[in-house]
Amino acid sequence: MESILKINKLSKRFGRIQAVDKLELKVSTGQVYGILGPNGSGKTTTLGMILDVVAPDEGDYEWFDNEPHVEARKKIGAILETPSFFPYLTAVQNLRITAHIKQCGKENIEPVLKQAGLYDRRNDKFKTYSLGMKQRLSIAAALLSDPPVLILDEPTNGLDPEGIAEVRALIRNVAQQGKTILMASHLLDEVQKVCTHFCILRKGKKLHEGSVSETLGEINKVEIAADDIKTLEKVIGEFPGKTDYTVDGAALLVTMKDDVTATELNDFCFAQGITLKKLFTHRNSLEQEFLKILREND
Amino acid sequence: MIRALKLEWLKIKNYRIFWILTGMYLLALLVITSGGTFFLRWLKSEGADFRGIDPTIIPINDFPDIWQNTTYLASYVIFLLAFIVIISVNNDLTYHTLRQNIIDGISKKEYLMSKMLMIITMAIVSTLLIFFAGLVNGAIYSHVWGAEYIFDEMEFLAAFFYQIVIYCSLAFLLALVIKKAGFVIVALFLYTTMFEPIVTAIMVNAPVFRDGLAPDIAQFFPVKAINNLITVPFGRYIFMEIQDYVSLKALVIATGWLAIYLWLIYYILKKRDLN
Repeated sequence: MESILKINKLSKRFGRIQAVDKLELKVSTGQVYGILGPNGSGKTTTLGMILDVVAPDEGDYEWFDNEPHVEARKKIGAILETPSFFPYLTAVQNLRITAHIKQCGKENIEPVLKQAGLYDRRNDKFKTYSLGMKQRLSIAAALLSDPPVLILDEPTNGLDPEGIAEVRALIRNVAQQGKTILMASHLLDEVQKVCTHFCILRKGKKLHEGSVSETLGEINKVEIAADDIKTLEKVIGEFPGKTDYTVDGAALLVTMKDDVTATELNDFCFAQGITLKKLFTHRNSLEQEFLKILREND
Repeated sequence: MIRALKLEWLKIKNYRIFWILTGMYLLALLVITSGGTFFLRWLKSEGADFRGIDPTIIPINDFPDIWQNTTYLASYVIFLLAFIVIISVNNDLTYHTLRQNIIDGISKKEYLMSKMLMIITMAIVSTLLIFFAGLVNGAIYSHVWGAEYIFDEMEFLAAFFYQIVIYCSLAFLLALVIKKAGFVIVALFLYTTMFEPIVTAIMVNAPVFRDGLAPDIAQFFPVKAINNLITVPFGRYIFMEIQDYVSLKALVIATGWLAIYLWLIYYILKKRDLN
């Protein structure tokens, strides 16, 4: 897979605090990569360094195929913390500046404003916008040049539930187009829902790195029950998609192979003449993994 | 180059404060370049005379003297251009648009370029205005006419251009260092019009200092260095000897300051974390 970003021993110290500590990362094409960590773990500082607004003390990074950083940034849509626009300019006028810098045509301005739901307000000054609208304008600006890479820092921060759902849908939508997304979040749930890969950062150090499905797939268990538990046990014994099972009172706890879903298990049982009265997927949540990783590293 | 300049243009073309300050500045230039004659007429109507001479016959609009006269007076309103620079740099800091511009894909060098090109453009426009206003006023009032007079002492126009570039670079630097626009404006204005002139005047004229090194040191002060490019021309009308050229020493000192300002601006942009 093509490399999008390579971070090499990046370090940054603010006074007595080591914000980022010899961080190494690699992001490849098509990944939705989540940097997960509590507040103050160095996520934003890391993103700031790879976008050249924070000067690293040590280390370096490489965009695409070692492209000059300034040129690389033109191919990246990025949102860092607060939306940054001129309050006295309208959405269209602000986006014209972005288009000018990114050297992309102005013809994308109207479509992205429509996509962000700001088209009706496009000629209103930025200072008249609500927080949610400002945030959506940031997203519009990031999508303006149709960049192959998106960088999002806490993309759902400060949004209402509807806005959060919209942004997540947008991220998935963009990811489906084969774009690479690098996002920072302190919300485990968010990373679990949208990312394919993630790393955990604490005090500027990388504690863990891996694919979301692998980390979660380690324990892919399904709890099932039927009126005739004995027959069920016999049927499950013949189910090819399991690796193991245990009897747990009136239910069976089936450990599944990675790529096998609960639907397949249900279909199999039904085909064997058993109707399940209970089917409950025990997908390990990232939260448990996260806490486990933090514990291991204490 | 054009790209960097256009970036700046997109930022200010719909900015009302920019146009208000520009309007004030252009009005001030108009008054300075064309008001002299009216001022002298007014003096006459008030009954003023200079050792028996009618004020209206003072040849302030004669070529080539007109160039030094108008550029000297116009240098008093350069601070309005400096305000534009301070406000525009300050906006980029407070609205985080400098940071956003960098993220979107310009280098810090390009940012420096975009501001400097705005300054240079303002300086070119100002200089051209002074030039055309001088031509018109000279055509109407000058007692002499001819290329050898009209295009003599053009160096003062170049010096005026240079004054704007240097003074606005100082404003750029201060706006980067001190992030409060109002404070920078007041501080720069007071320093330029009060603090430094008083200090240097004392160094040059006070009996305790004037025989030592102080008068020489005073020439190196930043505002004095800019002012020395165009010295006071009006002494000639009361038959005093004046410096009717741009001195090389003043040029060297002023260039030294410009180099220092630009280097510091670049250094700060490069080293500072933009949060």
